[in-house]
Amino acid sequence: MNYSTLLRASAAVLPPHFSQSPSENYAITGRNLSFCITTKQGERFSILRNCSIWIPSGQLWMLLGPNGCGKSTLLKVLAGLLNPTDGSVYVKKPKSFVFQNPDHQVVMPTVEADVAFGLGKYDLSREEVKYRVTKALDAVGMPEYLHRPVQTLSGGQKQRVAIAGALAEACKVLLLDELTTFLDENDQLGVIRAVKNSLASTGDVTALWVTHRLEELEHADGAVYMEDGKVVMEGDPSTIFKFIKDQQASYMDQINC
Amino acid sequence: MYLGFLNFFNASPHFLRGQCPEYLSDELQLCNGLLSCSLRKSIPSLPPLRTPEIQCAVDSEGKRRGWKKWIPNIAFGADKVLRSIAGATSSPICQFIPSPTTFLHSVDPRIKLVWLLAFILLPARSHFYMRFGIVLYLALLSVWALPTNVWMDQLGRVILLSGILFIILALSADGAPPTVSIRTPPPAITGLPNIPSSFHGYKYLILKLGPLQITRKGLSVASTSACLTFTIFQSASLCLTTTTPEQLASALRWFMLPLKHIGVPVAEIILTLLLSLRFINLVFDEIRNVALGILSRRINWEQLTTMETIDVFIQYVRRIFSNIFSHAEQIAQAMIVRGFRGDSKNHKIHFLSDSAVGVPDIDKKPNPDSLVQYI
Ligand SMILES: Nc1ncnc2c1ncn2[C@@H]1O[C@H](COP(=O)(O)OP(=O)(O)O)[C@@H](O)[C@H]1O
Ligand SMILES: [Mg+2]
Repeated sequence: MNYSTLLRASAAVLPPHFSQSPSENYAITGRNLSFCITTKQGERFSILRNCSIWIPSGQLWMLLGPNGCGKSTLLKVLAGLLNPTDGSVYVKKPKSFVFQNPDHQVVMPTVEADVAFGLGKYDLSREEVKYRVTKALDAVGMPEYLHRPVQTLSGGQKQRVAIAGALAEACKVLLLDELTTFLDENDQLGVIRAVKNSLASTGDVTALWVTHRLEELEHADGAVYMEDGKVVMEGDPSTIFKFIKDQQASYMDQINC
Repeated sequence: MYLGFLNFFNASPHFLRGQCPEYLSDELQLCNGLLSCSLRKSIPSLPPLRTPEIQCAVDSEGKRRGWKKWIPNIAFGADKVLRSIAGATSSPICQFIPSPTTFLHSVDPRIKLVWLLAFILLPARSHFYMRFGIVLYLALLSVWALPTNVWMDQLGRVILLSGILFIILALSADGAPPTVSIRTPPPAITGLPNIPSSFHGYKYLILKLGPLQITRKGLSVASTSACLTFTIFQSASLCLTTTTPEQLASALRWFMLPLKHIGVPVAEIILTLLLSLRFINLVFDEIRNVALGILSRRINWEQLTTMETIDVFIQYVRRIFSNIFSHAEQIAQAMIVRGFRGDSKNHKIHFLSDSAVGVPDIDKKPNPDSLVQYI
């Protein structure tokens, strides 16, 4: 535990390895974010404590951490769904948030109607809408599913439809919350590939991917490790992977003693 | 720190699925069985949590007396109820069955809606043979169009329901024999010869079994209501199993469109309907999953008192409601993120009608502006 607090202290103060001005090269910047809630008993309970996070443009970064450490809360703060109690947030616009459970996100009866749902707020012609929907579905590898009723899709396919819905809005930042929790291995890989492909094909899209599955790290350009409401470490995936494995090993030793 | 445990979940991702596959329930029960067996073996000295024996029912040897087993056991019932909820393969209300695609799947949902309405209205005021014909027709259609296990299940349930209705009504519609209310005085008083009975063997009383009797009136009431019940339930479930709820919604929208001119908020109604239809599956899944959750705790129902059993059920309902509310909150949040502000006039819904109905809309005009389907 001391080990991790030491690391956190160094990580939170140090700017990340690229030392240019944040607003230019970083799609997501969060400085000293705190988030507190007041419980029913009237106590203040802080979920995020002084979190700082920098994500470079055009990359896929993963946010890891045990359950309940505040990953979803951090993501919602970044998405603007929650107001931080303290600290400042900058995220490139337009940004989009994809929820953990695809059943919450996919609301329309057919694939194309759902992908087009987010476009309803703009004043677009039907051709433009059609073009964007087709392109977004191409990016997630489901071009032939245009007219499919949503309830005939598997979990992973629904998740990809949700991502396509975000892409159709031509957003610059994708905030993805534990998309693979409900999926089996096959679907899981499909969704990761879909995100990676769409990043590659559009060039300028940044994604922050929340997960608790270690094996997904190999697909990332960088990773952030959180624990107990604090960012403990950030850096390249292999370092984070090693760090977590070491922690697991020491934890196992503790149990076995 | 907990990531170590999570690797276990990675190995069996099904455990993390929102929707439990049906085979899982068996697996889970097996798991739990093994777990509790091994626990019992390893902790033999563990005292029982509660001793439910009723003192007066226990004789000197500590054995229960015979009469106690005749009391209906609520514990057994509770377990059975939860087990059947958790193990239900499809939702209790007939859900859409996407495959195998039958001829009924390809019928336009608007036509199906009209037929549904006709089947509800027709048998009410028609001849007995007509009613019976419709029942027979629906039964044959179900047998022909649906996969075997589905129609067996459906028809079985509907026949059971209408059968019970038939028997109850046939026996009770004219149950009290009208001993007092005879108005015509008996021939002995008037001195006139008795009215000759029908040559065709007409009998008002058809069957008499002790106190029970079946009369013509009872039979007619019973057959009418049984046929009506059968027709309504079976036609509705036929329609629901072969049509997606969204298709039905868009068919309904097509019928309601003219009402727009008299100020009916068709767009709002249909969008609300669509959202609630999306929600139904979540609700059923939630009911099933929470039941599975309770079952997997391996509650020893026999050791619970009646009040405690009721308490578990109240907890169950509360859990379902709180989960459903959290789902609703998440859906609302997701829709807000996607730019929906609760106003279906400013938020266009694209591609809804054409793809959901599966046929080109009749109200579509060639001018490109109207091609974007406003809901
Ligand atoms: N609205 C809320 N009310 C009370 N507690 C909350 C609320 N939102 C989050 N929490 C708590 O904050 C912690 C972090 O939650 P979350 O961000 O969802 O964690 P993660 O996504 O990393 O699993 C959890 O302990 C959770 O119980
Ligand atoms: Mg979370």
